[in-house]
Parts: sequence; C-alpha cells; structure tokens
Amino acid sequence: MKTITITTVPGFDEWREASRRCIAERIRPEHLIWQNSHSVQNELFSSDAEPCRSKIPRKMPQSKLSIPKSTLMLLKYALCHNDENRFALCYRVLWRVVYENKQLIQIKTDDDVIQLFAMAKAVKRDAYKMSAFLRFREISLEGQEHFVAWYEPEHFSLEIKLNFFQTRFKNMRWSILTPYRAAHWDTETLVLEDNPDSSVVPDHDRIENYWLTYYANIFNPARIKTSAMLNQMPKKYWKNMPETTLIDDMIKQSDTRTRKMISDCKTN
Amino acid sequence: MHDRLIQKLEILSDAAKYDASCASGSAGKRQAGKTEKVGIGSLTGGSGICHSFTPDGRCVSLLKILMTNYCIYDCHYCINRVSSNVQRARFTVKETVELTLNFYKRNYIEGLFLSSGIVGSPDITMESMVRIAKSLRIDHGFKGYIHLKTIPNASPELQAEAGLYADRLSINVEMPTQSSLNKYAPEKDLSDIHRSMNTLKEKIAEHKVDKTFSGKRPPRFAPGGQSTQMIIGADGSNDKTILGTSVKLYSEQKLRRVYYSAFSPIPDASEVLPLKPAPLVREHRLYQADWLLRFYGFGLDEILEDDMLDMDYDPKLSWALRNRHMFPIDLNKADKQMLLRVPGLGARTVQKILSIRRNTKLNWIDLTKMRLPLKKLKPFITVGDYFPDIHLLDSNNFELQFKQPKQFELFGA
Repeated sequence: MKTITITTVPGFDEWREASRRCIAERIRPEHLIWQNSHSVQNELFSSDAEPCRSKIPRKMPQSKLSIPKSTLMLLKYALCHNDENRFALCYRVLWRVVYENKQLIQIKTDDDVIQLFAMAKAVKRDAYKMSAFLRFREISLEGQEHFVAWYEPEHFSLEIKLNFFQTRFKNMRWSILTPYRAAHWDTETLVLEDNPDSSVVPDHDRIENYWLTYYANIFNPARIKTSAMLNQMPKKYWKNMPETTLIDDMIKQSDTRTRKMISDCKTN
Repeated sequence: MHDRLIQKLEILSDAAKYDASCASGSAGKRQAGKTEKVGIGSLTGGSGICHSFTPDGRCVSLLKILMTNYCIYDCHYCINRVSSNVQRARFTVKETVELTLNFYKRNYIEGLFLSSGIVGSPDITMESMVRIAKSLRIDHGFKGYIHLKTIPNASPELQAEAGLYADRLSINVEMPTQSSLNKYAPEKDLSDIHRSMNTLKEKIAEHKVDKTFSGKRPPRFAPGGQSTQMIIGADGSNDKTILGTSVKLYSEQKLRRVYYSAFSPIPDASEVLPLKPAPLVREHRLYQADWLLRFYGFGLDEILEDDMLDMDYDPKLSWALRNRHMFPIDLNKADKQMLLRVPGLGARTVQKILSIRRNTKLNWIDLTKMRLPLKKLKPFITVGDYFPDIHLLDSNNFELQFKQPKQFELFGA
C-alpha cells in the first residue's frame, strides 16, 4: 500500500503529477490510498504520508501516458468535484484507459465511467451557474472602478471559470471571493488568495436598483410557472442574487394583476 | 442616472416582455484581443448564459427593452399601439448604451435585445436603433450579444448597417396569414416582411463566405442569423397553418428560430382580441413540433393528423401511437433516423446509444444506468435481454397510460 496526500484544492496538478509517476511504476489502483488535507492551511502540517511532489522527471515515456485531450478535460472537471473519492476514481479510470481499454470512456454504461461523467457534469453545472448567477458590485479602489463579487460554489468551480471571467471582463478590475479562494484581476495579472476575508464585499451597488426594476417588469404575471423557474434557479442560489428578494411578491401579486388586465379590457 | 430613468426602464421593459426570444447564443465566439485596452465582453459560443429566471419560468439573458413605446401603428394585439392608453417613454441613445454596459459589467446580462415602436418613420426609428448598436460596438468595444428587432419598412441600407453591429436580426411576422394581419395589424404587410427577410438572408449569405477573392474576410453580418415570432391563439389560425408558415420560413428565409408566443391578455387591450389567454400547452406543443421538424427528421404531414396538434400527448408520442406497426424498435440495430423517432429518446441520447453500440451490446440494465424514461420507452423498444409483451402495443386503451398531469419545460429559450 502506498499513500498519496494531495495538499491543495482542487488538486488537479498534484494529482496529475502523482498519477503520472504511479502509472509509470505500474502501481495498481487498489494498492493506492489517496488522501487530501482538509483545508488549505493544513499544508503547513506535514503528515507521515509520502509527499507526492518528489523530484521526478517531468518527461515520462510518452507512449504510455498519452491520453486524449477530451479525457484529460473530463478528469480535470471531475477533479474539481468536492467528493474526496475523486482522486481514487480518476486514477482508476486513468489506469484502465492506459492498461485495459483505450476506448473505456466511450462505454457510457461502465460504472466508473458513469460516476466520472456524473461528477464532471455536476461540476460543469456548478461552474455554469457561477458564470450565470455571480453578481458584481462596484466599489472605488484607489480612485478606480473595482468590481467585487462573493460567490459560494458547491464544488471548486472558481478554477474552471477563471478563464471565462478574465476573458469577458478583461479590461475591468475585479475580485471574485469564494469561501476557499479569491481571484483578483487588475486587467493584466491574476492573483489568487486562499481563505479570503469576506467582510470586504460591499452590500450595495449604485446600479442594482435598476436591475431590480428591470427584473420585476420583464416578468409576465399572466404566465406563472414557478416550477420551471425553480428547476433552473433552485433556492440555494438565491442568497447572493439581489433580484430574488422580489420573487415572493411577484408571485403573490400576479393573479391580481392578470385579473385586473382582463377586467380592464371588459370595461373598455 | 436618476429616478426618471427608473421610470422609463419600468415602462420600456414592461412593454418588451411580450417578445418570447431571449436567446443569446449561436453567433459563434468573440472576445477582446489580448492587447486591446478598451472593450468589454465575450461570446462563449454555444447557447449563451441565462443570468436569472423570473417566476414565469423564462430565462433572463439579455436586457430586453424597447427604445420607445411611442408608435404610429395600431396593431390590436400590441400594448403599444397608437390607440392604447399606456404611459409612453423614450430612451436616448446614450441612456440605452450606458444601461447595457452597466448591466453587463455586473454580470446581469449577455447583451442587449432592442426593439422599438415606430416613431416618426420606419427609417428614423431604425436609424436610432443602429446608432445604439454602433455606439456599443465602436465607441465602447462591446463584444457581448446584440439582437436588433428590425423595422420592416426601413431602408435596405439601414438594415444592412444593422447587420454589421448586431448578432441577430429579427422581424416578427406576428400572424401566419395576411388575412389575420389585415384584421389585427392593418399597417403590416406580409410581403414587405418577407422582402426584408429576403434582403437580410442574402446579406447573411454574402458575408458567410470565408474569404473573398482578394483574400480578405468579409465583416461579420448578423452571425446569429434571423428569427421571428408568431402570436398563437389571438386569431383563428390552426396549428397546420402556423407550422406550415414556420416550415416555409425555415426553408425559404433560412430563419434560425421561429418563436411561438401564446396570446396573453395585455393591459388596455383592444376589443377585437379574445379575453382569454391561449392555453400554454398549445404553445408548448408547437415548440415540440417545431423541434421534430428541425432536428428529428419528421415531415409536417407526419406530425399533424388533422389541423390541430394533440394536446394530450407530445407530437412524437402521438405519431408513435398512430404508427404502432413500426414498433418495437431494436436499439442495438435500428439506424439513427429510426432511433430519433422512438418516444423518450432525445437527440443526445440517440448519439450516446450509437457510441455505446460501437463497443458493446445494450441490455436493459444499461438503459437504467442511462436514466432513460423507461416507462415511456418500454413498449416501443427491444434490447439484448428485453422484449416487450407483444400484445402491449395493441392492447385496449394503451395510450391512456401516457396521459399525465401536465408539467412544462421551458422551450422558449
């Protein structure tokens, strides 16, 4: 038995490095125990377990370790899942792809493949929701516009979406804070900060009222479909979306508003 | 910005909500260059992001507003017709541009969907709309999504300019026939609308070429194509007429999307209109039928047995119930076209089945692992270790098992 401890979150790079070596050494998945230290600070307390970042040559025999880019992407997504078993599962899949069946990923009915896809899908959805539901608020920092957002992803989705935010808001200064990590962008450089202080997040924004006005008025009270809304925007996302404070009243008043429209027509 | 602007926003977003479209995708990818020091936004490719959802189940993806709700036309179904008593307002070019940018910077939206009542003349209106799009693109380097509702009678030059800045252009046909238009939108002419669509279609095709002879790439022209909307249930048109019109629009005008909007009562409505909203299930069935026509290889005459779609069963199931002799289908052998016709199998599932089949044979357990709607599928398919009871398909009241309390997904995106 060999134990590998991953010390960072989500831990993709560490996992990849360790996996490269273990695959090359032909260590079977069942002979490996994957651990990860629970929080980012735990890195300071070294355990007895063998650290996986030893000085191994980066270049390994390519023939055995080349896997399709799409598979690597799939593993990358799955490794951003918050499930502690992700490292073991991904290694098992990698092992099987390398030594058992190159086409494994195509077999969508294989239990490991199903689990891998399910985890990747959960992360993808979580990351998508982050790009959709995150809200920036404007502050003035050193005399310049700076946009700050607080978001609580379910998985390690910040890593997945960094590129999206850097591209879309390239010429904007912004900070995205999550419970485990913050990303700060000054139009040129990205700085990551672990365990950020959430008290710097502003509680209002000069434009927010316009957004609430828009949200309340673009809604058609004659077509209430709350379940469709909740399907796409479950309540767990609501707390950081300012417009959701309006929803209860919008639903309550919808019936009266619709009936009024119809009765107004009749009296015309 | 001050309170007067809040008031305008109230009026001009309220007036825009009857447009079903909120799509912000299918215009390809776009982003600011690495060295560009101004500019904001990106198109991610794929189908755009829904930044919020309202209690009507609709996605909020774009800032969907009218430039103005003043209008010289008198279309009965429209809340902004000249004879309506609604409050009027008008955004300036600058206000619209700033609102869009301010919303975008806060990650509220993917871009702008701008429509307008007709003020002065079609050309005057269209010219202001183009100025808004142009200012966003040129002055502010805006790379987000822009959808412009073009004004049917505006000059071809203005429409051509609109296409240079917009990702999508649309003109609403509103009613499937000229006779309905005559009754409900007396100033609108179907052949004018088609002429405008045709101009845009040709422009879009011209700009699609990868490179011209001189080796230069032509500028982008409405890369997201054209779309339109029909109001359902305000006039007497049946589903056959409506879908027939859609088929023509898709094939002749190369439209990307036709939206169906169930008529719903509007404030201060004209008395020519029905008082009751059209059932949402009809709108839903039309979207399903539209999907079958575009992505599942169905023909119009296969989907419609008579003039109206079946409200109890979705159109694919309804077709299968009428063609039971073609079932059950062997999922391990049937070709793609036939798989697409099996009730309960979507296009993505079919793709998955085909890819699994290349490596291994499908058994019942695999279907459960794929989380398919087994109850619906069961009578229509066979796999390696499963064959349905041969009498099942022919049993009395077979179809009743599929009737269920209605739940609707969102198809309007």
